Amino acid sequence: MEARPFTPSPQPWRGALQKGAARSRAFVWFLLKTLLPLYLATEVLKASGLLAWLAGYLAPLMGWWGLPGEAAAALCAGLFINLYAAAAVAAPLGLSWQQVSVLGLILGIAHSLLVETAVVRGLTPSYKMLTVLRVGLGLAAGWLLALVII
Amino acid sequence: METLAALPATLWQGLQGGLILCLEIALVVVPLLFGYELAAAYGIFERPWPRLKPLLARLGLGPGALMPLLAGLFLGLVYGAGILLSLSDEQDLPRQERLALAVFLVTCHAVVEDTALFMLLGGSALAMLGPRVILAVGLTAWLARRRRS
Repeated sequence: MEARPFTPSPQPWRGALQKGAARSRAFVWFLLKTLLPLYLATEVLKASGLLAWLAGYLAPLMGWWGLPGEAAAALCAGLFINLYAAAAVAAPLGLSWQQVSVLGLILGIAHSLLVETAVVRGLTPSYKMLTVLRVGLGLAAGWLLALVII
Repeated sequence: METLAALPATLWQGLQGGLILCLEIALVVVPLLFGYELAAAYGIFERPWPRLKPLLARLGLGPGALMPLLAGLFLGLVYGAGILLSLSDEQDLPRQERLALAVFLVTCHAVVEDTALFMLLGGSALAMLGPRVILAVGLTAWLARRRRS
């Protein structure tokens, strides 16, 4: 997360490969930690029938975006945790490509709100307004896309 | 009771599915991470890219905003946060330009990684990325025009 020094070294690729390897190791570890537990939890919730029961209540709401009630779990995971968490929850649901696209568009615009809002705060004092804007834009764009492709 | 008996099988299935998804994502993202580092090491994000200047101007962004914009666009808000914030301070970006940068980047950042992730699940790149770019460019350009008038 620290700023990189911008002085070019004689062999820039060496440092880049080292940094890339370090980033990749950290990324794979992060992926396993985030994705596996959520994927497992989703499979268990699905098999126990609990997810379907909850989804029954959320289906009318999610229907606005052409999504099944179960997708609400993926939406929450994406908004509050991150996109990898959303992918872990969405993967076992067996969504169509249209549904994945709508979910991907909503979450592409609005995701990881807790962490990213902190970054935006460092950029501008209007960070609260921008976070509301992201969620609103994401939901609106997803709704329009669903109208077009689903 | 029936579901309880099926629990080991469910867990096994989940573990397999989860590991496969992790592997697929890693196969896409790891080359990207190396690519980003190489691009950064060779100063891609620091180059002036003179042809982009008029485009930036329409978005209300000066030449100083280009580096943070490219960093956010390709690296993402969190991953690129270090560059984004330190460069915005270094280049001494005015308040309005910082807002324009933030408006653009909140709707559209880490475009390669995010899109690739949902493409793995079967989503369409055009449907997911197109509206984001249009929204980001449209909103930022609208903000710039409103400021000028």
